[in-house]
Amino acid sequence: MPGESPLLEVRGLSIRIGSGGSNLVDDVSLSVAPGETLCIVGESGCGKSLTALALMGLLPTPPVNVVAGEIRFDGQNLLELSNEQMSELRGDRLAMIFQEPMTALNPAFPVGEQIAEAVRRHRRVTRGEARQKALEMLRKVGIPAAETRLDAYLHQLSGGMRQRVMIAMALANDPSVLIADEPTTALDVTIQAQVLHLVRDLQQETGTAMILITHDLGVVAEVADKVAVMYAGRVVESGPVGALFEDPQHPYTIGLIGSLPGLGARAAGGRLVTISGLVPTPEAMPTGCRFAERCPFAAPVCAEVPALRKIDTGHRVACHFAPLEDTVPERAAS
Amino acid sequence: MTDLVLQAKTLRKHFTTASPLFGAPTVVRAVDGIDLDIRRGETFSIVGESGCGKSTLARLLIRLLDPTEGSVIYNGQDIASLPEKAMRALRRDLQFVFQDPFSSLNPRMTVAALIEEPMRAHGMGSRAARREEAFRLLTRVGLRPEFADRYPHEFSGGQRQRIGIARSLATRPKVLIGDEPVSALDVSVQAQVINLLEDLKDEFGLSLVIIAHDLAVVRHISDRVGVMYLGEMIETGPTEAFFAAPLHPYSRALLAAIPAPDPQLRGTAPPALKGDIPSPSAPPPGCRFHTRCPHADARCAVESPKLRDAGGGRKVACHHFEVLPASAGIATPPPRAAHVERRFALYRDRSAAPAPARSDQPEEAPRTGREKQSNQEV
Repeated sequence: MPGESPLLEVRGLSIRIGSGGSNLVDDVSLSVAPGETLCIVGESGCGKSLTALALMGLLPTPPVNVVAGEIRFDGQNLLELSNEQMSELRGDRLAMIFQEPMTALNPAFPVGEQIAEAVRRHRRVTRGEARQKALEMLRKVGIPAAETRLDAYLHQLSGGMRQRVMIAMALANDPSVLIADEPTTALDVTIQAQVLHLVRDLQQETGTAMILITHDLGVVAEVADKVAVMYAGRVVESGPVGALFEDPQHPYTIGLIGSLPGLGARAAGGRLVTISGLVPTPEAMPTGCRFAERCPFAAPVCAEVPALRKIDTGHRVACHFAPLEDTVPERAAS
Repeated sequence: MTDLVLQAKTLRKHFTTASPLFGAPTVVRAVDGIDLDIRRGETFSIVGESGCGKSTLARLLIRLLDPTEGSVIYNGQDIASLPEKAMRALRRDLQFVFQDPFSSLNPRMTVAALIEEPMRAHGMGSRAARREEAFRLLTRVGLRPEFADRYPHEFSGGQRQRIGIARSLATRPKVLIGDEPVSALDVSVQAQVINLLEDLKDEFGLSLVIIAHDLAVVRHISDRVGVMYLGEMIETGPTEAFFAAPLHPYSRALLAAIPAPDPQLRGTAPPALKGDIPSPSAPPPGCRFHTRCPHADARCAVESPKLRDAGGGRKVACHHFEVLPASAGIATPPPRAAHVERRFALYRDRSAAPAPARSDQPEEAPRTGREKQSNQEV
């Protein structure tokens, strides 16, 4: 499926808080085609959730503003739509799965009613038909005894089932694009495996494009077609999932992969690779390459912002020194 | 024989909910008859999903909770029945690292005061000596001694966890119990804290008991592993043997559920486990896992399996583990291309190069007042 023309395309998106300071999300470009899964990875504070909220038109404006860029979906720029037009799209052709079903769903209404409400908001159907659709969706996401769960409240369901309800609600109107923000982070690993498998199955069935936001490289390896690695508000590397894991180029990506406790084998000497220091705060954002102050390869040239340049088919990296093994001289081992 | 530092014998902890108007109160069997041997100098990890009782077990081991039944033996004494006063003296040897570095440090105490407090409580050293020791510990966990008079809110999550570790080391404990010590941290910071814990273990001669749900972390740091399911220990054994071929059907499912950290190993098979973990207040009869087990038969529904010897220092609680097909364990990711391997080597080399090869190098500035610095962590 990769290679098809993009369904959703983000160009040069920049977001900041208030008027001063630096951009929290800076010049981010992404695209996703039908049936494709794009994963946005990065650590806390890298701007991945802000990007997702911007796509859904859910940024708290003010104080958070989009200052540049466009989001092309279906021939229109989402950033130019009115609130009414956006809420027509939201929950219909654009849907979102949040990390915490406990806070994203209403504890005071039965779950079936909430799914039916999402259907009735966008489709001209009767109450009965909407309820029928809700039942069908609950069955589809694998909730046992779906008939009885229709009238269950959130607190009566387990964590995995709540997340299934949210998925059912997001998919009820056959969205073209599904945005999932850390959908499995709050779940246990066996339940995570069930949910990821379910999402992949449903996606294959409907051809929905998915943008999945996560900090877990294991999840990325499991579901992504394409990956964008974000650091401090910028995309530092992007490409097909295979290229990213087998041929990581950016020092941040290398550090991130190296710091995963090796599932395959213990790392040499048993020590994990680490990334020293901390993610810069928005007030103290470096002007050049934002990773420079934590980068073991930093040099004077890093005071300039590195362009996201092509290094292989579909594989882009924002580092002056990529590929590192050709540009960085070997040091005499101490 | 082996030198045991901490031992649990048929340990039970049942929580009783408030009595309802009618009927009997609900009893949650959080820990239900666990035997455990922790050897001196080893890292033992307890894994399991939410609600399996692993955190309760950790708290029982240092008597932050009183057991309903059973005993915990430390240095030949049963600490479960020790009077509170005698217990207090023993707490010097048994320390705890909490999961959440945001809620486990008093926000109104300075970092130095936080680290000195356990020493003061145990009457260790003079005021000046305690402060000296706090500085030393701060440096040891990779923070600058200048930060001693700052407050916890000025630090990031990783730094707070370092402060928590420094505090727990202040009384020179013999056993350190960590309840999910790295799971609240980002992966790069998590790696720093894991490296630190491993260094400290050797340096201070600690025995570590780590509670974790992240199996990748567990595999990296442990010598032995124990898997819990609904309040029971269902498998224990040496880490490498366990990950190479888990024996219990639940252990197998748990390992199979970990997303492989390599897209080439992407699994297409449906997940082995269906449904959720049953409620610990109404565990299934017989083998507690039989309701979700693909290999269960009639016997499993009535007879609870005992944890029995499986050879090679392993134990497993399953009636049928001998006859189950051999499990594959965790697949090894294929090797990287030579030029990519060189890139990783370069990164490792460069990260280590300028600083002396020790992590007692002051490492990070707090979030406020970030000055230009050479951040180095080995």
